[in-house]
Amino acid sequence: MVSVADLLTDGRLPGNYFAQDLYVRGSTELGLLENRRGDRLLAIPDPLLQAIYSGLEKETGQASGLVLYNCGRWWGKNFYARFCEELADYYKQPLASLSMAEFLQSLQQCWKTHGWGQIHLDITYRDRGFLGVEIWHSPFTAAAPQGQKPSGDLERGILEIFFTQLTGRELRCAQTSCTAKGDDCNRFILGLEKRLAPVEGMVANGQAHQAIMQTLMQQG
Amino acid sequence: MTFKLDALFDSPDKQYLDANDLSTLSQYVSSIPERMAVYRTLRDQEIAIMQPIADALQQQAGHPEPLVERSVRNGLMVLRYAAMAMLLDDESFVEERLQGWLPEMVKAYETQAVDQQLFQLLHKQLSKVFSPAQLGLLKPSLEKAQSLMLNTRETVTLAGLL
Repeated sequence: MVSVADLLTDGRLPGNYFAQDLYVRGSTELGLLENRRGDRLLAIPDPLLQAIYSGLEKETGQASGLVLYNCGRWWGKNFYARFCEELADYYKQPLASLSMAEFLQSLQQCWKTHGWGQIHLDITYRDRGFLGVEIWHSPFTAAAPQGQKPSGDLERGILEIFFTQLTGRELRCAQTSCTAKGDDCNRFILGLEKRLAPVEGMVANGQAHQAIMQTLMQQG
Repeated sequence: MTFKLDALFDSPDKQYLDANDLSTLSQYVSSIPERMAVYRTLRDQEIAIMQPIADALQQQAGHPEPLVERSVRNGLMVLRYAAMAMLLDDESFVEERLQGWLPEMVKAYETQAVDQQLFQLLHKQLSKVFSPAQLGLLKPSLEKAQSLMLNTRETVTLAGLL
């Protein structure tokens, strides 16, 4: 029998931890924005993002994507640790016992509340060992130089390390569509390095996301 | 939080409140005792209100226990947020806090059908506890939550991952 009293541990009913009006706070006296735990938040102006892209391009040229990708991995590693810590604290239970639905929905909310756009997982290809991620309204690729190649290297790095840590398997991430080259959103594919290897070539040849996924599926 | 009256409190840089604004304020203030009474009842009788609903969902409707647990959890959450929204006289509170969360949980755990029945039972249960006038205070936020929850448009496919 379902006992309602038993469902309410300490009378708590954990919900949307990252709800925007709850999560973002500020200590205006000190001139600081904070999250609900008192950790510092920072608002980055668009021109600064643009300046980072253009500065990197000028100083490192071809390597700027790689630099951003590595920054993304660094960021992602810390983001994953902090994200897990906050959720474990809030739910008052070890993260391993948190359900996947709550975990992933929290990730989506967290992403949105920080102003990084809307992140969606696409599990259509999970039987074949791939996980798709869509990011809509990304502020990062919106500020990136427009061109023929995907420029979501920062996000590629974050996603790669985030899901590597989440799944405990060394995953690679490739970007297959990008708003900076005129697509509707940024799409990423995560999978084991060996299986993902052909994607880079196809992306470089300018193939569209759907075509790339079809080829991947045919490889079996 | 965007409290409905915030708009009033934002206005000193424009001008003093006019008669209409003040009457909005005084209507809200005079409704507070009733709102607090409803709130207290919901708070103190949370389990008493929800337990018969859980029993009915399991015994009469024959839904499996894990599904009923999930749905009851959703119902409790809705009721808590609706209670707070009623206290503040601001149904958008429900929307802000539950949007992007509850609908996704409903979808992930596939509780739509049970939730639908839960809401019907909840309305019946509440009408036993409250007078029509009191129900009227609670109704806007409950309806908001219900439509938010059972209208899962956003395409997030978490269910398959579980």
